[in-house]
Amino acid sequence: MNDAHTFLTHEIGSLAKPPWLVKTSAGRPLEDSDIDHARSWGAKLGVGGHEELVELLEQGAEDRVQDVANWSSRYTLRLQEKAGLDWIWDGEQQRTEMYAWAIAHANGFEPRGTVRSFDNKYYSKSAVTGPISLAAPYHNDEFEFLKSAAKAKLKVPVTGAYTLAIWSYDEFYGASQGRLGRGESRAATIEARREFALDLARNLIRPNLQALIDLGSEWIQIDEPGASTESDELELFAESFNVSVEGLDCRFSTHLCFSNYDLFFPAIEAMTGCRQYCVGFANYDSRELGATAADRPGYEVISKFRDLPYEPALGLGVLDIHTDFIESPELVRDRILYAVDVFGDPARINVCPDCGLRTRSWDVAYEKLVRMVEGTRLAEEAVSRSLAEAG
Amino acid sequence: MEAFAPGIYPRSEELVQETRDLDRGRTTQEAVDAQVDRDLQLLVAAQQEAGLDLLSDGMLRWQDLFRPFVEAAEGLERGALTRFLDTNTFYRAPHGDGTAPRLAEPLADEYIAPLPTERLVTLPSPFALSLGTGIDPRTIAEGVLRPQIDALGAELVVLSEPFLARAEDADVEGLALALEVLHGGPPLALWITFSDAGGLLARGLAELPVDAIGVDFYSTSIDALPERFGKYLLAGVLDARNSLVEDPPEIASFAAQLEQRVERVALVPNGDLQYVSEPIAREKLARLGQAKTARAGQGVAA
Repeated sequence: MNDAHTFLTHEIGSLAKPPWLVKTSAGRPLEDSDIDHARSWGAKLGVGGHEELVELLEQGAEDRVQDVANWSSRYTLRLQEKAGLDWIWDGEQQRTEMYAWAIAHANGFEPRGTVRSFDNKYYSKSAVTGPISLAAPYHNDEFEFLKSAAKAKLKVPVTGAYTLAIWSYDEFYGASQGRLGRGESRAATIEARREFALDLARNLIRPNLQALIDLGSEWIQIDEPGASTESDELELFAESFNVSVEGLDCRFSTHLCFSNYDLFFPAIEAMTGCRQYCVGFANYDSRELGATAADRPGYEVISKFRDLPYEPALGLGVLDIHTDFIESPELVRDRILYAVDVFGDPARINVCPDCGLRTRSWDVAYEKLVRMVEGTRLAEEAVSRSLAEAG
Repeated sequence: MEAFAPGIYPRSEELVQETRDLDRGRTTQEAVDAQVDRDLQLLVAAQQEAGLDLLSDGMLRWQDLFRPFVEAAEGLERGALTRFLDTNTFYRAPHGDGTAPRLAEPLADEYIAPLPTERLVTLPSPFALSLGTGIDPRTIAEGVLRPQIDALGAELVVLSEPFLARAEDADVEGLALALEVLHGGPPLALWITFSDAGGLLARGLAELPVDAIGVDFYSTSIDALPERFGKYLLAGVLDARNSLVEDPPEIASFAAQLEQRVERVALVPNGDLQYVSEPIAREKLARLGQAKTARAGQGVAA
């Protein structure tokens, strides 16, 4: 039927690591419940040959951590495929953490210890201390393995230049002496960060992206959770994105989350190489059904993405990743239908969670993704019906 | 010239690991408590070795500047995780439930630890604690901060204020009313952290009813300081958001400039040291002490 419409669905990036990977990586002994987890999820997801993993874990896999990580990737690929997603990644099972992984593969940085993120959560923070360059492409091995293991298409998440800059100490670009009592010069601070972020874009991110493209990557998602940290540096964020991707032959998107999204306008009008923004909205939305503006307060800002002159797609975050609340298919449907109504063009709407589901258990993450896909099918039926009636 | 370090101090790598393990069910609260005690002992030793004049407990159990009060006070609730200024550290923004807040019990020793010698205690300023709650700072001061201050013994209470200088049309007069409520107990300092206090100084910051004013001199020009500054000045001379460690002679020279305008000066960080890792913070504390010693060796400013 000519009027049938399908929405593209995808994940955002991270998923929790299973206990058998966490413990094996840390050199800690497994318990029976960990092996049961591998056995039951392997059967539930239909992971081919998962008995081999169970046997490996039972025998002790201390010296085969990479093999266990590869199994974890197979499980998370199957989890998302079984949920019905079109584009997937492995939930970053092979990586340490989005900042540390990139910095560990860059020249020009030195570790500066652990800093609190919030409560009892922390992150390792580094300082830029010299010229930046790529030590070695840092997603190639993982991409090649996942290419061999995935049935669905792969979208590669890569941490963006601006986020790496704003999350690092600067011991190289800014003034190191003579600052006391002079007063802050925002212009000088921004200029130092500009040089830093653009060097990251040119000398770290871009060659890493090129390496992924050479291996056949079709879609790369630039993750920028730090993009709105400084409201007067949004143009710099946009510039660093452009320098990272300009002239490269791939589909590039950007992931933004948990910010005041109004801040991004008009700066991202300059990000013409960005073909999709995937953005978290469900976190701010009501759980009541309905597809009017009053029903969907979390999605108020989406008209600004609609009005971007280069007409990017919108990856519509429809799952709140901060809670175990399972969104019903009807709630997902209504969030999508509201976005379609605002955009007036269903082809520009993709469907995804707000952010990576790393903080949820596999049970919750899987259930949420299944309902997301079911809700997407309901929205497709409604849109297709409207298209048929209209024309 | 004095020196001390108010605010939240970073946790050691050992305490980081213990608290991570606690969240994952791999250790006990008792083990975490024991490590907090060890961290506190090391922090006290570091301050004493640096020759700091008032000891701070480093607020090692505080999850953020507001949390203990939000949890202990009726009428306040934990809000959304919110980015702290331009850092990658987040706090739970306080919310009001519509009633006048009231501190049921003053915070216990676990939050304000006893110390062996003269000490300072850091609390949120009434403006910062009230921001976003819909409650005016004076009501917060009366219901939450005043009962806490009444229960304290301290040589100085430092009211940490990261937001006032950044707020458009900040109600300085409203803050003055709130500070009046807190007056009459231990000496009070209003510590303007991580921001340019120039605008506030021009609007009469020095006239507020507190004994001392803290100014971040990485964000604020010395020219913003009046020629004769009549208050005790807490001069923010350690940059707590920067991993580079400071040069003690440079701080001492700057302190000499300050003493030409201000009768009494204490050298302090420009905000909580928790925005650098513990080894860096410890080195910064040592250099704070060295700067004080260097300034003492310079004699009277020309």
